[in-house]
Amino acid sequence: MISHHPSPETLLAHAAGTLLAGHTVVVVAHVQGCAHCQAALTRMEALGGALMEDLAPEPLAAEAFAQVLARLDEPAPKPPPPPRQTNLALPSGLRLPVALRGAQIGRWLRIGRGLRYSRVRLPWAPEQNVMLLKVAGGRKVLHHSHGGMELTQVLWGGFHDETGQYGPGDIGEADETTEHQPIADPEGCVCLASLEGGLRLPWFTRLLGW
Amino acid sequence: MTALASPPPDADALAALITQVAETRDRQAYAALFKHFAPRIMAYLRRGGMGAGEAEELTQEVMLTLWRKAGYFDPLRAGAATWLFAIVRNARIDRARRRRDATLSGAPPLEEADAAPSAESMSLVTEREAQLRSALNSLSPEQKEIVQLSFFSDTPHAAIASKLNLPLGTVKSRVRLAIAKLRILLEDPS
Repeated sequence: MISHHPSPETLLAHAAGTLLAGHTVVVVAHVQGCAHCQAALTRMEALGGALMEDLAPEPLAAEAFAQVLARLDEPAPKPPPPPRQTNLALPSGLRLPVALRGAQIGRWLRIGRGLRYSRVRLPWAPEQNVMLLKVAGGRKVLHHSHGGMELTQVLWGGFHDETGQYGPGDIGEADETTEHQPIADPEGCVCLASLEGGLRLPWFTRLLGW
Repeated sequence: MTALASPPPDADALAALITQVAETRDRQAYAALFKHFAPRIMAYLRRGGMGAGEAEELTQEVMLTLWRKAGYFDPLRAGAATWLFAIVRNARIDRARRRRDATLSGAPPLEEADAAPSAESMSLVTEREAQLRSALNSLSPEQKEIVQLSFFSDTPHAAIASKLNLPLGTVKSRVRLAIAKLRILLEDPS
């Protein structure tokens, strides 16, 4: 049962195509497993379609149609082959979201007691700060606030904080106004996270002396 | 273009045309779709600040994608304009990335195959989209503008802030208000 969804603004930005590429991957991972957000997203795309339909049409050059007709039989460009992915050790039963197809996934790096980090590089947007995190059970994180927007999708296990309990499929959205103290569930937690701004680690890790 | 001087096709007719293109590679149906959609895609891209030459090139790309991916169109899931909007949006994102760095490889293709099967009937899709349109028309001009800028602008929050002369911090809550007014977007009709 999913109880934490992306905010309406975030889902709208995704529908409109203006969300950062890193956040987009995390939102897509959520939406693929969430019928509620799939339906909301379709309605927002319908809104985009309605707005586009309402615009006063702008004519194209006279030869535009003939140019397109002449290209109809061209073969479609082939999508790039998916990059090789490291075989990450994952809790049994956990499969990485389809949204990560096409991403380069680094191996687990131990970056502190009870915390492993894997860099997720998006070949189409390598500057984006996306990562997988594996947190051991019961780790408590100091009170903290945020620089820019952070999205955290729970893939396995869970955590809780002042805003509630987060389990598989739930997404946490935090920004500069958020302050909280998350604690991983006893079995631990695997998350997919994206952070706005340069390479740095999210709230999960601040306790660990980074 | 061609001698298709009939009134603009409605949503059901557009859906039927796409299905025709998918099933029989019907170029006359495609011509009608081009006539309807290409100038609107063009207008959409121009509103987003794209130059005329680039917008026209991208419109042609989108119309080619329509031809190639018509088989993925599922009228039980979304209307024609909704489906095409998603294609335009993805094409625009891809173009922006390639403009920044020509060596970047493309993002994986649209998640057309991953979409959940829908239990809705086509008339429900049409009805839902008509409801949405009337909800949109019930917004105040200012709210409608916020929604439009949210979709049309590359940097929506900054564009809204400068256009409405609001501090950037206020914009987020204004956007949220406008969306809340469009409750129909967020509520499951079932």
